[in-house]
Amino acid sequence: MRLSLRAQVVLVALVLAVIPLVGYVHVKQMEKLLREGQEQALLATARAIATALHDRPQLLELRAGEPASGEMALILRSLARAESRIWIVDRDQRLLALAGDLKKRSASDEPPDLLTRVVHPVAALVLDRPSEDFDDSLPESEIGGAVAASALQGVPARRWRQSPDSRAVILSASHPVWSGDDVVAAVVAEETTNATRSAYNRAMEQVIGLTLIAFVAGALALLLFASRISSRLVRLRDEAEAAIDSQGRVRKVLAGSSARDEIGDLSRSFSTVLARLGEYNRYLEAMAGRLSHELRTPIAVVRSSLDNLRLQLLPAEAGVYLARANDGLKRLDTILTRMSEATRLESLVREHPRERYDVRDVVRGAPLAHPGKKFEIDVPSEPVWLRGAPELYGQMLDKLAANAVDFATGDEPIRIRLEPRGEDAVLTVSNRGPRLPQAMAGKLFESMVSVRSREGGAEPHLGLGLYIVRLIAEFHDGSAQALDREDGSGVVVKVLTPLDSGTGT
Amino acid sequence: MARTVAIVEDDAAIRANYADMLKKHGYQVSAYGDRKSATAGFRTRLPDLALLDIGLGEEPDGGFTLCRELRAMSAALPIIFLTARDSDFDLVSGLRMGADDYLTKDASMPQLLARISALFRRADLLREPPAAEEVLERGALRLDMKRFHASWREAPVDLTLTEFWLVHSLARYPGHVKDRDSLMRDAHIVVDDSTITSHVKRIRRKFQAVDSGFNAVESVYGLGYRWNA
Repeated sequence: MRLSLRAQVVLVALVLAVIPLVGYVHVKQMEKLLREGQEQALLATARAIATALHDRPQLLELRAGEPASGEMALILRSLARAESRIWIVDRDQRLLALAGDLKKRSASDEPPDLLTRVVHPVAALVLDRPSEDFDDSLPESEIGGAVAASALQGVPARRWRQSPDSRAVILSASHPVWSGDDVVAAVVAEETTNATRSAYNRAMEQVIGLTLIAFVAGALALLLFASRISSRLVRLRDEAEAAIDSQGRVRKVLAGSSARDEIGDLSRSFSTVLARLGEYNRYLEAMAGRLSHELRTPIAVVRSSLDNLRLQLLPAEAGVYLARANDGLKRLDTILTRMSEATRLESLVREHPRERYDVRDVVRGAPLAHPGKKFEIDVPSEPVWLRGAPELYGQMLDKLAANAVDFATGDEPIRIRLEPRGEDAVLTVSNRGPRLPQAMAGKLFESMVSVRSREGGAEPHLGLGLYIVRLIAEFHDGSAQALDREDGSGVVVKVLTPLDSGTGT
Repeated sequence: MARTVAIVEDDAAIRANYADMLKKHGYQVSAYGDRKSATAGFRTRLPDLALLDIGLGEEPDGGFTLCRELRAMSAALPIIFLTARDSDFDLVSGLRMGADDYLTKDASMPQLLARISALFRRADLLREPPAAEEVLERGALRLDMKRFHASWREAPVDLTLTEFWLVHSLARYPGHVKDRDSLMRDAHIVVDDSTITSHVKRIRRKFQAVDSGFNAVESVYGLGYRWNA
């Protein structure tokens, strides 16, 4: 499976998901502390009331069902906490007094901040929101329940329970009221967990909001970073691929070559490698010229020696060897001439003036250089204007025709066809004969590449013909390619050169 | 008196071979291996013709320097460059320095001898008052076959020996196409097609310098060139 760099970075970004988890654990811890605190506070309230009632049994002489009055009510009111309910039960489990209310009086919530508002809908999915709409009745079972009973036994107790309709959680804490050594009553303080719950929710919302922001921002930053890196790499790859064109020439890689990081280094080392490759290619291309230059001096030595020898009085049989030496020299000469032709042409095309000419005249002259061979020439009736040099085009055509003649088998004439197609003039030279060897595809137009396998007789083949074709095609801003015929019966060489639109001189 | 041919060539074998050959053909030869000894030799006695190599030992352009010095000593002295270099750049540089012709080292002895004797003939005739002339006239073109001097519409065109022979080969039978091989034969050279192309290019340019409307040398694609009178 192929994972793009971007996808990999996004996967790595999942590590960030730990942040909300840590926040959640932290808030849970906080909630536990809050509850603990609430229990302690509630217990303290119960204890305070119990202490206030301590040894003042007259205060407890209340009748069940009657509301507390006088000092009792005062104590209850002064010690009670907001949103808490306090009741007192006597040994017979009769409710002596009841004060306070579990429900919140004022809904004076401070207005939520922006973050809360944004996070609220998300948080609502995972948090239960405390409700003020619950059944706050004090059931009979609770009055005789474990919390009160425990206090009546003399042991303070606390307990969490559900409201009768299960919509809220109620915390109750009890404390015994002593009279001497006897427990005379129990004070029970009750509170819902709504307050802690709200605090918990708020904290949770903040945690969710902040981590969400951190997560999104972090992921976004990573994604941007990954995109940038991957786009730079893609650009580098594309340029590296395009750096060597189909004809084997080396261009320069530029992407990120000034960047001061590893990708820049990569690009620079690519450039270096390509530059070396280019140098090597140029070295190979110049090789023919250099070789011919270097060989010229020793050949001059041999030739002048032979010329001198010929003027000597020699035994008859020496003539035979002299003739053979001469033949060899002539062959060497041909090779040298061919080798330097490409080099000379390279420098020739560099400064050759360009003119506008009708290429049909050049194409029509092609067969003249190969008398005795059959040609089929097909040129359009309209002039085909090119911008370049007719002599050079003629030389190119001559190479193509010579190539076709060499490879042609059978009696089929060599077909030369010129036609304007779109913006280009397309010249095709087609002959019946063996197909192109697959291994050499794309290299045929390089210097000193030859596909000839059979012995070419006296004519040496250096593989410079098609290289010359390429040079001249490029001089005309065009390109050359060699293909098999569609039915495989031979080879077609195609030269595309842009038509001259006729504007300018 | 035998004419003196000076050879300046750093390769001892070629130098000796050429010297032997020229001696056999009746020339007096003074051979030099480097620029210093050649300059010293030229100061004592100017040769009648000089064959110069361009690269001389340590000096890659020693031949050019020598050519300039020789030209300063004598405007009429025939100079032929004989070198392994065959780039257009070297050729043009050599000819600009005032050389009369330029041959690559793969030229054969007969080709070289043809040039030497032609240049001597021209040098002789330039010294003598004009006597019997051998002239080829084709319209505005006038070729003095003895002095190897060409003119177009009576303005002199400064051609090298090789160029002169090429023009002569073309103009002798106007309208006939000369292929590259016969052009090479007539000009006593063996070169590749591109060299012929650049020779023709240079010839056209020289004529065009005299007459911008010059178009007598026509390319016949696939065959060669033709002189249009």
